[in-house]
Amino acid sequence: REEQEEERPNFDFKAYMVQRANSVNKALDDAVLLRHPQKIHEAMRYSLLAGGKRVRPVLCIAACELVGGQESMAMPAACAVEMIHTMSLIHDDLPCMDNDDLRRGKPTNHKVFGEDVAVLAGDALLAFAFEHIAVSTVGVSASRIIRAVGELAKSIGSEGLVAGQVVDINSEGLSDVGVEQLEFIHVHKTAALLEGAVVLGAILGGGSDIEVEKLRKFARYIGLLFQVVDDILDVTKSSQELGKTAGKDLVADKVTYPKLMGIEKSREFAQKLNRDAQDQLSGFDPDKAAPLIALANYIANRQN
Amino acid sequence: SSPSISTRSTSVHFDLKTYWTILIAEINQKLDEAIPIQYPERIYEAMRYSVLGEGAKRAPPIMCVAACELFGGNRLVAFPTACALEMVHAASLIHDDLPCMDDDPSRRGKPSNHTIYGVDMAILAGDALFPLGFQHIVSHTPMDLVPESRILRVIAEIARAVGSTGMAAGQFLDLEGGPNSVEFVQEKKFGEMGELSAVCGGLLAGAEDDEVERLRRYGRAVGVLYQVVDDILEEKSKGKNENGERKKRDKSYVGLYGIEKAMEVAEELRTKAKKELDGFDKYSEAAIPLYSFVDYAVDRGFSV
Repeated sequence: REEQEEERPNFDFKAYMVQRANSVNKALDDAVLLRHPQKIHEAMRYSLLAGGKRVRPVLCIAACELVGGQESMAMPAACAVEMIHTMSLIHDDLPCMDNDDLRRGKPTNHKVFGEDVAVLAGDALLAFAFEHIAVSTVGVSASRIIRAVGELAKSIGSEGLVAGQVVDINSEGLSDVGVEQLEFIHVHKTAALLEGAVVLGAILGGGSDIEVEKLRKFARYIGLLFQVVDDILDVTKSSQELGKTAGKDLVADKVTYPKLMGIEKSREFAQKLNRDAQDQLSGFDPDKAAPLIALANYIANRQN
Repeated sequence: SSPSISTRSTSVHFDLKTYWTILIAEINQKLDEAIPIQYPERIYEAMRYSVLGEGAKRAPPIMCVAACELFGGNRLVAFPTACALEMVHAASLIHDDLPCMDDDPSRRGKPSNHTIYGVDMAILAGDALFPLGFQHIVSHTPMDLVPESRILRVIAEIARAVGSTGMAAGQFLDLEGGPNSVEFVQEKKFGEMGELSAVCGGLLAGAEDDEVERLRRYGRAVGVLYQVVDDILEEKSKGKNENGERKKRDKSYVGLYGIEKAMEVAEELRTKAKKELDGFDKYSEAAIPLYSFVDYAVDRGFSV
């Protein structure tokens, strides 16, 4: 067990996560309706509502509340971030990419709906994420919503998520991948969208530029933390425990933190990232920061 | 080689070719600047390949600019959205060509994106171009010249048009076959882009709701008209050039009903599009570029 950082004694993280994940699930369910043509919307809903821990949307809402906003201001953005996350998983699992059959314990989207529909469902989720923010965000000025749209777009495109995936694909099978390149992959592939989630929440909640930038740094640390922990779990847990194919990094000959620095050093690195992340929250109201602190600890200590 | 449909030109004193050529040069330059090559280079090369391909007619951005100017809008306001239209359009064409979709090895006489960059890069290039469109609008639109609420509506409109009830729906129904009407598939696959282009221009210039609806119907008719005439021209040139390398689109008017009926459809669309423009008679002079697109779609009197 990794060390537990200090948490507010009265903060019930488990209840918080359950309650928030439920509101997010309901909002997602309400957002993506079964419209014509049915099958493409079924495919979108299949992956979007497949469970998942909803870490990104909860981060988005928590950041919004930390800077003084209401949950409702960030909910469309929180859903949008989850739509983008889901879309990237659908495309990532395709045969021409990672070729995965299993995701969140269920057959992957293209296994159920076919590759063509999986590509389109991903594209449609991407588009709908932007439509949803633009149309459904209430109680926030147009100028802040536009800023949020710009941030989200940047975090998922060729300067963000996609850049990480490209370098990841290019690194497969190479023996000389260094820590720097590995960090580039994860900062873009994982951290960028977590950063997007947190920054969107902070912007929509009315945060000042200084607050937004502090939370951006916080998100970058926990984003990297997320991936370091993922790498560790991939070598230490079974497929059943993970709900996805374990050891696939080894099979695909992907470079990982445990491979580059060993398990122990990877665990130490994870702890350092968690501390650096939480340092960014020190200037905020400790009661309001409690969910983000607990989320960082959760990401550090999760077992699947 | 143009179809023998009567020409009733309204654009006597208007030189569409010059108007078009000048705008193409400006749009091309802005697109070139919008996608600079950086690390990881290959994804930017793939994106540039499809967006900056030589010989692109740039009809969507030019229609957007023309619709903006119809209502007295400054074209500087329309340029970023015009560029975004090309980005999202390219993204959807890249994905449409994929082996698991239409399996088209070429596009506009050149190898399609995945033929050159591989299926994985082609998927990612599309995934990056969609958000780049939104990012470009947010970062480049001169906010001092246009209210932010209009930009939000444009973002929502673009997302809707490419999404699960728009272009993605058209592509899905085209792939699926079945008893869908040719009108529906053609409108979704080809009318949606024309509609989007005209509507965005109008929205940015502050057009009233009923005017936006008029632009919607106009753009949709022109978008389908272009495709119907393309199909007619292709069918006619087949006699001389019997390679048959291109798959027959059985969802086109020509494929389903033959050339005669397709030409009737084209004539109806031309009439419909112009009828919508007649509703803008208070702007008569400024509507000339939009009229001339309709005739050009049929006559193809010059090449740009």
